Amino acid sequence: MKNSRKILPFLLLLLFFTSCITQFLPQTNEDKEIIVIEGLITNKPGPNTIKLSKSLPLGGASAAKPLGGCSVSVTDNLSDSYSFTETTEGTYVSDSANFQGVIGRIYTLHILTNTSDNATRFDSYPVEMKPVPAIDSLYYVKQNIKESAEGDPLQQGCTVYLNTHDPSNSTKFYRWEYTETWEFQIPFSVPNNICYVTAGSDVINIKNTSSLGEDRVESYPVKFISNTSDRLNMGYSILVNQFSLSEDEYSYWEKLQNLSEQVGGLYDIVPSSIPSNVYCIDNPDAKVLGYFSVSACSSKRIFIKEYFAGLVDLYTNCADAKAPIGPVIPNLGVTVWIIGSHGPMDPYWILTYDKGCADCTVRGSTTPPDFWPTGK
Amino acid sequence: MKFKIPLLILFLSFWVNLSAQEKYKISFNYKDISFIDFITKVESTLPVKFFYLEDWVKDLRLSDYPDCTTLECVLDNLFKGTTLYYYIDEFGNVVLTKNYTVKISNISSDKNNKFLPPSEYSGGSGENQQLSGSSSVEIGNPAEKNNPGKVTISGYITNKDTKEAVSGVTVFVKKLSAGTISNEYGYFTLTLPRGNHLVQFSFIGMREKSVNLSLNGTGEMNVAMTSVLIPLKETVVSAQKSVTLQRFEVGAEKINISSFKLSPTSMGESDIIKDVLLIPGVQSVGEGSAGFNVRGGSADQNLILLYGAPIYNSSHFFGFFSAVNSDIIKDVTLYKGGIPSRYGGRISSVLDIGSKEGNRNEFAGSAGISPITAHVSVEGPIIKDTLTYILTARTTYSNWIFGMIKNPEIHNSRASFYDLNGRVTYNFNKNNKIDFSAYRSHDDFRFNSDTVYSYNNTIYALNWRHFFTSRFFSSLSINNSSYNYDISSKGIPIEAFVLSHKVNSTGYKADFNWFLGRNEINFGLDLTKYVVRPGSYLPNSDSSLVIPKRIETERAWEGALYFDDKFLLTDFLSLNLGMRMSAYYSFGPQTVLQYNPELSKNKSSVTDTLNFKSGAITSRYGGPEFRVSLNFRISDQSSFKVNYNRTRQYVHLLSNSTSIAPTDTWKLCDYYLKPQIGDQVALGFYEMLFRNSFEASGEIYYKEIRNMLDFKGGTDLIMDENIEKDVVNVKGRAYGLELVIKKTEGKIRYSIGYTYSRTFIKSTGYFSDEIINSGKWFPANFDRPNDLVITFNYLFSRRLSFSSDYTYSTGRPITYPIATYDISNKLLVTYSDRNEYRIPNYSRLDFSLRISGNLRSNRIAHPNWTFSVYNILGRENVYSIYFKRSADIIQGYKLSIFGRAIPSVTFSFDF
Repeated sequence: MKNSRKILPFLLLLLFFTSCITQFLPQTNEDKEIIVIEGLITNKPGPNTIKLSKSLPLGGASAAKPLGGCSVSVTDNLSDSYSFTETTEGTYVSDSANFQGVIGRIYTLHILTNTSDNATRFDSYPVEMKPVPAIDSLYYVKQNIKESAEGDPLQQGCTVYLNTHDPSNSTKFYRWEYTETWEFQIPFSVPNNICYVTAGSDVINIKNTSSLGEDRVESYPVKFISNTSDRLNMGYSILVNQFSLSEDEYSYWEKLQNLSEQVGGLYDIVPSSIPSNVYCIDNPDAKVLGYFSVSACSSKRIFIKEYFAGLVDLYTNCADAKAPIGPVIPNLGVTVWIIGSHGPMDPYWILTYDKGCADCTVRGSTTPPDFWPTGK
Repeated sequence: MKFKIPLLILFLSFWVNLSAQEKYKISFNYKDISFIDFITKVESTLPVKFFYLEDWVKDLRLSDYPDCTTLECVLDNLFKGTTLYYYIDEFGNVVLTKNYTVKISNISSDKNNKFLPPSEYSGGSGENQQLSGSSSVEIGNPAEKNNPGKVTISGYITNKDTKEAVSGVTVFVKKLSAGTISNEYGYFTLTLPRGNHLVQFSFIGMREKSVNLSLNGTGEMNVAMTSVLIPLKETVVSAQKSVTLQRFEVGAEKINISSFKLSPTSMGESDIIKDVLLIPGVQSVGEGSAGFNVRGGSADQNLILLYGAPIYNSSHFFGFFSAVNSDIIKDVTLYKGGIPSRYGGRISSVLDIGSKEGNRNEFAGSAGISPITAHVSVEGPIIKDTLTYILTARTTYSNWIFGMIKNPEIHNSRASFYDLNGRVTYNFNKNNKIDFSAYRSHDDFRFNSDTVYSYNNTIYALNWRHFFTSRFFSSLSINNSSYNYDISSKGIPIEAFVLSHKVNSTGYKADFNWFLGRNEINFGLDLTKYVVRPGSYLPNSDSSLVIPKRIETERAWEGALYFDDKFLLTDFLSLNLGMRMSAYYSFGPQTVLQYNPELSKNKSSVTDTLNFKSGAITSRYGGPEFRVSLNFRISDQSSFKVNYNRTRQYVHLLSNSTSIAPTDTWKLCDYYLKPQIGDQVALGFYEMLFRNSFEASGEIYYKEIRNMLDFKGGTDLIMDENIEKDVVNVKGRAYGLELVIKKTEGKIRYSIGYTYSRTFIKSTGYFSDEIINSGKWFPANFDRPNDLVITFNYLFSRRLSFSSDYTYSTGRPITYPIATYDISNKLLVTYSDRNEYRIPNYSRLDFSLRISGNLRSNRIAHPNWTFSVYNILGRENVYSIYFKRSADIIQGYKLSIFGRAIPSVTFSFDF
């Protein structure tokens, strides 16, 4: 229902003859770097991670600027304190033997930065770890991507859906993160031929059931997989983590979702900063980005291995480079990655110049993940 | 002695001949030609223009008049012994009159006027005296001539050609510094001492007229004024000359149709809102954006009245054209402050569009085309002088243009609009008049996709005007206005939907005017019934899986009793006391959520649900609205005014975007949403300079607005059932200084207006998500402190005129993204404080040139060509700055709507 925002492109079109668009980088004189906190404490075993970084100037390089050298700790309402240690720059990890979130406890994050001369203290508001129900089911539905015109090849993809419910009617605000893993193969029989690639969710998945009579989520579309990636070609797996949010945190993610889609047009929602639950003790007006999330977590994984019609072959261009070679192979070892022949007696051909076509480790890893079903 | 007389004669004739021969010398043989042919020939050789009725002269033929080589001489001879008279004014207009003469008094003799034999007219006492042209009038019984004391005269001012009432005419006796202004019915009343007075009637677009009044006693005097037949481009005309001095309101501006028809246009379409934007104190967030902001008010705080009914969406094409066809506009009055108590329901301004009535005398019409639109209008009597009609239509042919363009995105897009107006007026008799008006506007567009947007305004209005006496009359009206939009899509069959919103209001109004001695009393009752369907989201086909959803209909009544007395305390001090008691009730059925008062309103803080039954009152608001002004005339040339007014507004436009979008929804005040209340104090000083040829004014104002709405960051308002949880209550304050100097006479006219104004907003919420910018005052979206508007007009001749506008203003505030960051693979941006930055300043220069064809009145059609260049400097004024995520960075773009000079040609003709 964000229809009003479609008006902007329409306007541009209407004014095809008169309007003009130029790239523009506003002079904001904002050179200050804002601290970004990405923290998640769960009740799962294993280390919990807090990532600290600094915001990047608009339009600048996207290389992250981790914030190292801070001391990070979490306290709970039993006055226990757990310190986190920095593993790589800006990433602070708890000692899994020592610390695991417990449902019902209230956690507070403490950060002491060590930026050159003046150290700054940041605290989060106390956050209670709420219980989370199990994911009832995770399933996928195969779908035709387009109403094919007659004679067009069928194109298929699928959507992964989720069902869950809370019999105690207390969760109401849900968020999901997923991790996808899929198997793919390059079109040449070379050693690094089959790889596994993993990607995290890059969209915000949230749902609010408070307007329903029952705390139940049905057929929530977690992920749509189109035929234009190679996720469905060989084998695909998705792990969904379900979190229960406080209403505050839910509204944080909801606004983030509304504002991150498109920004700054005339009919856009007037943008605003979304307040974090972490604040600077030494300067309460200082801006803080990110959120300190505390939630129990339940997970579910499914595998998809089925025939889908009309999948796009990402490697179709690889064969185009095919060319016969003479006695001297040009650029051998520099750009030529595979040579081969059609038969034992045939001359050698250059099959591809592209490393990505010749070595699957460009995109993934040859080692299947632990959970990958063996024998497949 | 013998010697002297011939000398005197010689001297006189020399003087007359010199000027006349210079100007109107007849050099062709006119013997035996018909008068009409004569006129044709004279008009083509001399800079004169005749005005007459064809019936009078169709049988007239010229004969040989020996030694007659001037126009005056020929006419003198020709009209000898007939009942026809003529009058030539300084501009070369030759006006023929029948049965009475035009007599010019008190006009200095250097103006080349021809004096004719004395008037045959003699005014009887107490009679209604219909005047046309300048003349002498006697009112009252001459026997009472020497009685002591003052007497009051009153009358109606009508347009001679169309017989419509002319409002806003200044009626002024210069010697006494006494005067008044005709009201919306053309009625005026004036109290003067007995004796002889020169009464002047003046109004923009009308030939100024003077009447030598011999006042013996109370009586009536009706005046017919003639339109200036060649429209003088006046760009923005506030009331002319002494009108400004006389009006009670600070900040009332009247624009006459003839003045804005010539403004340079962006797409060849003359547009009333564009002219309103040239008035100091009126701003918009960007060119082509819908709506305007008056003195720091948001765009939904303007009451735009057509046929007395509010228009809910005042634009076509997202704001590029105003929704009202200029063909039906008679005049437009904008009240920036000093809103009369008969108006209510919006807090910042009233834009009252005065609409035309059909021509009572003859069939007439006009048609024209511009690069985007075509329009036609016809009018005339069904029964002469009694039953008249006017019909207008306007449409675009943009779809045809889109279809011609090969680019598939454009080829598959559609955007069109039309509007229709019709009005029938029935004058039963002198004391009763009924008119029925209807209006419809429609827009639809589709952007290379299956989603179709359409929206409509519809207005019906019925009005009965009744005169109990000539000094006490009423106007009863019923009107209905509605606005609705539909967004529908069938692109994905299972998701086919139609999303609709509709606001409908029915107004009942009884308005009474009573002229009682030195009082002008206006009172009445105003009732409005609202029905708002906030939104419905319904499946649009059988295969659609969309779950139907309808937000509960809202119903409310708004009522007001008002009373307004304009009272002349002395000749130099007048007071206007007004009060409007308004009340508002909203009714069930309605479901209202109750929230925990300790928490911010949101779904999780809901504690209970209240169910109001049908007819139960869900909320009530109201109170007095005082409207007070004082006008102190310091001298003939200057006056000082003060006013205060309070206004209440019971409807909100829910918009969380910078500019009004057609998909914004109207919302009635309810259990949670309180009415907006505005308070404004304004002071004004007005001065006429250089023998009234210049007009200078300065106004300052301070304004406070309570209960404005803003919205929590990132909320989407469409189909929002419980808007109260997304609302951030804000208050506003605005102040400003408006300086204008205008040259209002002569061939070259110009005005320079400079405004310094500020508008700030402050959130008044308690919870963190209800606080914007830490609860500090911050500039509103339309806060543009410096604003300079210069207009210039040059009338080369009656057929050729030139006009130009220049506008400069500070860029509007904007909230920029200032940094990007990454949280679990999601690239996000963070923003500055609200409206912390500004887009670049705005500057634009426009030209237009209007060429009129032959203006002879007997020609079938009068063609007009208008050549305009909008933004002739080609400046890329920034309309919007937006940001898009491209790959791994956020890229900013600036958009200029008119990034180059836009020429246009408009052709129209009147018939």
